[in-house]
Amino acid sequence: MEQIFLIASIIIPSIAVIVGVNILFAGFGKKSGLREHYVDLLIKIFEWCAKQIEESSELKKRRESDENGEIESDDEGIEVDDSSDDSDENSSVVRKTSKAFALKTSQRCRLVSENHSIISRQATLHPSEKDEFTVTTFVKTQGGAAVMDSVYYLKAGIEAIVEDDVTNRFKAEQLASWNMMTRTSTQFYKFLNWKLTLVWILGLIFRYAILIPIRIIIFFIGGGLLVWSTALIGLIPEGRVKRFLNQRCMLASFRILTRSVSAVVYFHDKQNKAQSGGICVANHTSPLDVMILSMDNVYAMVGQRQGGVLGFVQRTLSRAADHIWFERSVANDRLLVLKALKEHVDDPNKLPIIIFPEGTCINNTSVMQFKKGSFEIGAKVYPIAMKYDSRFGNAFWNSSEQSYGEYFFHLMTSWATVCHVWYLPAMERLPNESAIDFANRVKKAIAAKGGLVDLEWDGQLKRYKVPPKLIAMEQDKCYHHLEKYPLKPQGAQQIDEEIDQEEQR
Amino acid sequence: MLQDEEIQEIAAETGFSKNQIVRLYSRFLSLDRQGRGYLDREDFLRIPELAINPLGDRIVDAFFTETGSDTDFRINFRQFIRVLAHFRPLNKHKPNVINSREEKLRFAFSMYDLNKNGYITREEFKFILNMMVGSNITPDQLDSIADRTITEADADNDGKISFEEFCKAMERTDIDQKMSIRFLN
Repeated sequence: MEQIFLIASIIIPSIAVIVGVNILFAGFGKKSGLREHYVDLLIKIFEWCAKQIEESSELKKRRESDENGEIESDDEGIEVDDSSDDSDENSSVVRKTSKAFALKTSQRCRLVSENHSIISRQATLHPSEKDEFTVTTFVKTQGGAAVMDSVYYLKAGIEAIVEDDVTNRFKAEQLASWNMMTRTSTQFYKFLNWKLTLVWILGLIFRYAILIPIRIIIFFIGGGLLVWSTALIGLIPEGRVKRFLNQRCMLASFRILTRSVSAVVYFHDKQNKAQSGGICVANHTSPLDVMILSMDNVYAMVGQRQGGVLGFVQRTLSRAADHIWFERSVANDRLLVLKALKEHVDDPNKLPIIIFPEGTCINNTSVMQFKKGSFEIGAKVYPIAMKYDSRFGNAFWNSSEQSYGEYFFHLMTSWATVCHVWYLPAMERLPNESAIDFANRVKKAIAAKGGLVDLEWDGQLKRYKVPPKLIAMEQDKCYHHLEKYPLKPQGAQQIDEEIDQEEQR
Repeated sequence: MLQDEEIQEIAAETGFSKNQIVRLYSRFLSLDRQGRGYLDREDFLRIPELAINPLGDRIVDAFFTETGSDTDFRINFRQFIRVLAHFRPLNKHKPNVINSREEKLRFAFSMYDLNKNGYITREEFKFILNMMVGSNITPDQLDSIADRTITEADADNDGKISFEEFCKAMERTDIDQKMSIRFLN
């Protein structure tokens, strides 16, 4: 009994102190720098682990080749493709712009598997007007061209079966090196080394026994603050005081809430932050996006009215400031939504709106098609690019595989949630630009800043089938290509003309 | 999970390296959304880039024909990787039956041969053409293109194209290059 009391008397006050200090810092918007050091330490540990994995697997390979004779690579006729893949580019962008200590990320973390692609795509089909076909010179007729084109389509199809650009955006991003969490270990989880296993066990204990209790407590404190403060502020009449208080309380509560997933967020280019009367657009990865953005600036949120706990939170938030929540039936009526957005944007006393035009969560390696609705209003658009560092935890919420609760539990048992947020300069729709072109321009800017791939595919394809008009577009392209060839080969045309002339006689 | 033994068997049969086999297995698992251990037509057509391909249906069909499972439409991983092995580039120093020019041509042939009777008829060719250009050309134009092409390749004048005639017609083309996919190591 005594031992239990002694242990508890050490653990519980220390947890209370940690939590208390955290809250104080968060409430006043100060940084203790503790989380940044923690992240730095983690990077060092991952580097060491990657080195261990590399050494152990080399040893293993050498042992195997000694047993089996030479292990030959069977692709002698083909050059190995050295081009770097997406995640390499991401990591270099992230590295360049993060703070000095994060720059120490060494090459080792990327060395284990550098190229995630299985093939190098040569025949791709895009849902756009670009002409994809190569010119075949030995084909003389439309028939021959048709056969060659069919082979092109065949190749494109098989390449798509092996590796396509779309379906892999709805799965968690593949890591270059193991980050000591079982859930990411499909390729790396081998008991290569006892040292590695020891680190993994320690990491497991640390995450589940120490981090979780702290995080859960912080979460409830933050959530409670949010709900109670907005309820109290709701009692104050409209005016400057209310807006000021709302800003302070929202910032404080969201800072506390994001600490519950150990969020380390780097905000860049703060001078481009949104002012009232604008619409902020960002790429969507998880429900956490709004919370992270709210750490630095206060926004008006837009969304469907939910039931249950989420609905309750929505109602309390609305007491302190104006957010736009829609009934499910109304949300389908685009005009009403746009009208409400326009009214909100025109009012200088209201907060800038935050919208995610993709409409669904993508896995943060690419930006998919933006819905044009928010770009039609004519307000100033403040683009925001968000890039999560996947080494510390996977922020992507796959709504078809995980429930909300499971997702949050995963977040809380990850090492940390590291995110870079870039505020891009405001953009406005040009006089001759259509809403779709404007949306694509913004999307391109966001993708370029965040180091993400800019795709034209619709994010809703993860749920729905491809619409037939995309197939019709592809058929049009094929027809235009065939048209360039004559129906009959050159020589045959003359013979046909002679036959025609003879028949006329 | 793939055992080492199985990987070696597959490597011997298809010519893929161990790395490539592991990656293709991971791809197979991600296509097999319901985790049933096999793929059916729906799993393939869920890939958007394949769904907008005008010949998408035919490609999936030919895939299943190659595995010999065109009756129950299920492919396990061994069959999956064996079909993909057809598309490995030709290696003159290490000729392998599975990715030879003939095997590639056979795959293309089965894409055209709708009823799998070993011949491509005028109707079957018109069907493929129609899939590719849709409503952009008239039935007359379709007829004349099909007529010309079949007649040119039809050596024995029986009105349809056998596999040998198909190979002969493709002789001077670089079809094996066009049907090769660059697998990275």
